[in-house]
Amino acid sequence: MLDGFTTHFIDLMKTVGLNFEFLTSGYEVRMWLDGMVTTLVLVVITIPISLIFGVLFAAALTSGKKWLAVPVRAYVELTRNTPTLVQLMCGFLVLNMLISNALGGAQNNPLTPFFWVVAITGLHVAAFHAEALRGGIEAVPSTTIEAARAIGFNSLQILRYVELPLAVRSALPSIINNLVNLVKLTTVGSAIAVGEITYASIMIWTQRDNVVELMLVILLFFSLINLVVARIGFWLEKRLAVPGFGQ
Amino acid sequence: MLPNAGQVAKKLLDVGILAAFLIGASSAHADATLDRIKARGKLTVGVILSGAPFGYIDPKTQEQKGLNIDVAKALAAGLGVELETQTVTPPNRIQFLQQGKVDILIANMQYTEERAKTLGYVPTPYDRVGGAAVGRKDSGIKDWTDLKGKTACVSQGSNYTQPLIEEYGAQVKALPSQPESLLALKGGNCDVAVHVSGTVSLMLEDRADEWKDYAIIIPSDLIPSDSVIWLRKGEGDTQAALDNIVKSLHVSGKLIEFARTNRLPSIAYLEEQQKKLKDGSQ
Repeated sequence: MLDGFTTHFIDLMKTVGLNFEFLTSGYEVRMWLDGMVTTLVLVVITIPISLIFGVLFAAALTSGKKWLAVPVRAYVELTRNTPTLVQLMCGFLVLNMLISNALGGAQNNPLTPFFWVVAITGLHVAAFHAEALRGGIEAVPSTTIEAARAIGFNSLQILRYVELPLAVRSALPSIINNLVNLVKLTTVGSAIAVGEITYASIMIWTQRDNVVELMLVILLFFSLINLVVARIGFWLEKRLAVPGFGQ
Repeated sequence: MLPNAGQVAKKLLDVGILAAFLIGASSAHADATLDRIKARGKLTVGVILSGAPFGYIDPKTQEQKGLNIDVAKALAAGLGVELETQTVTPPNRIQFLQQGKVDILIANMQYTEERAKTLGYVPTPYDRVGGAAVGRKDSGIKDWTDLKGKTACVSQGSNYTQPLIEEYGAQVKALPSQPESLLALKGGNCDVAVHVSGTVSLMLEDRADEWKDYAIIIPSDLIPSDSVIWLRKGEGDTQAALDNIVKSLHVSGKLIEFARTNRLPSIAYLEEQQKKLKDGSQ
């Protein structure tokens, strides 16, 4: 049944000049489908990681405590101003080797290429979230904070109940932007053999020369994911909107 | 008989798609590439510079060297034109060729049936190479069959991927190019790195200190196959002209000389080829 559908699809594509013959080969199709799943898993893991660290970084940056703000500021500048691909190569090929050596051999090193993609891309985008949230936090009127202090809130409570809720609302459009970028950024994993969809496609098209066909699928695939991310963001914006705030 | 509407529509679509993507340069009329090479007085060759002995940049003179370059020079000389090289990598070399950015590829690219379906090639090979597995001396791997379940690093676009996965059940990690793959091997991210045997044996020899814990741990080569020159499909004139030059390079012993000066590990295949072609021409 499935085979019939596949051959039908291949024939249909052939009539418009597209070569999808790899769909009948065993290991390439498996690698390709695994690639789609891996990309989705990467997206589902890196989005919450970037958000959690984004909030932590923003809190540190606006804490007014030097020992917290300075290292985080240094990290934000470093990661924002250098290419992600280089960071990833550095992490996987250099840092990872140093870690292996420190642990007495690669067999003791549990860090996989997958870990490095999640860590590098997640934390990279967290730096952008942090900047967006910092802007939001700093935009909270000082009178509002004074009022919160007057009713006895400490600085953590002010952050949790006053600053963040307002900052999230004003930063949401840029956070969604960052998330859309994060989804696309996961493709750098292909450079260190993380089997996501771009990697799988490169593996297939270098053997079969069906670049156009696989590119089309990649474009459609990412468009769909990001359409969903953007719609959710839009819905959240509407849902969280405070009448009268920010207008 | 009138063609039915479906056929006409299909034909139109085919033509439209071809035009839209600007690929499939294999038009029905004469071979434009040879004419263009002669008219420009220049042969543009896509070469891979992933390391000695096939292609590298001499650190002292900044010149491109290696077997790929020597063969490219000889071809340009044979056609009576100048040589222009364009560096390519395994994942992008086919696109460079298909989009007409290079005329031919001399890019460590062995003959496979799959490739021959979409590309043209010069039938006489200029070398024959197989894959060698570099790994730690204490890894316990002694044969290709020992790779079951082990991780093998290759470069993206390598034709060793399929046999490693399908025949030997290895987990393959493909990195952008050979240096990254070897670095990943050193970092312990893979059990072996499988690359063209000539390149890795020379590297182990020249950088013995750095690689003292490593060796080529499997004595036989993986799928020894013919290194051929690739071109766009349907370019019969270019193909014939280049084939004649490659044959004469075999017969005159030039290719053996190139192999010696570039320190290729084995020239047995080239000697055999020379003998065969000499006998054939008598």
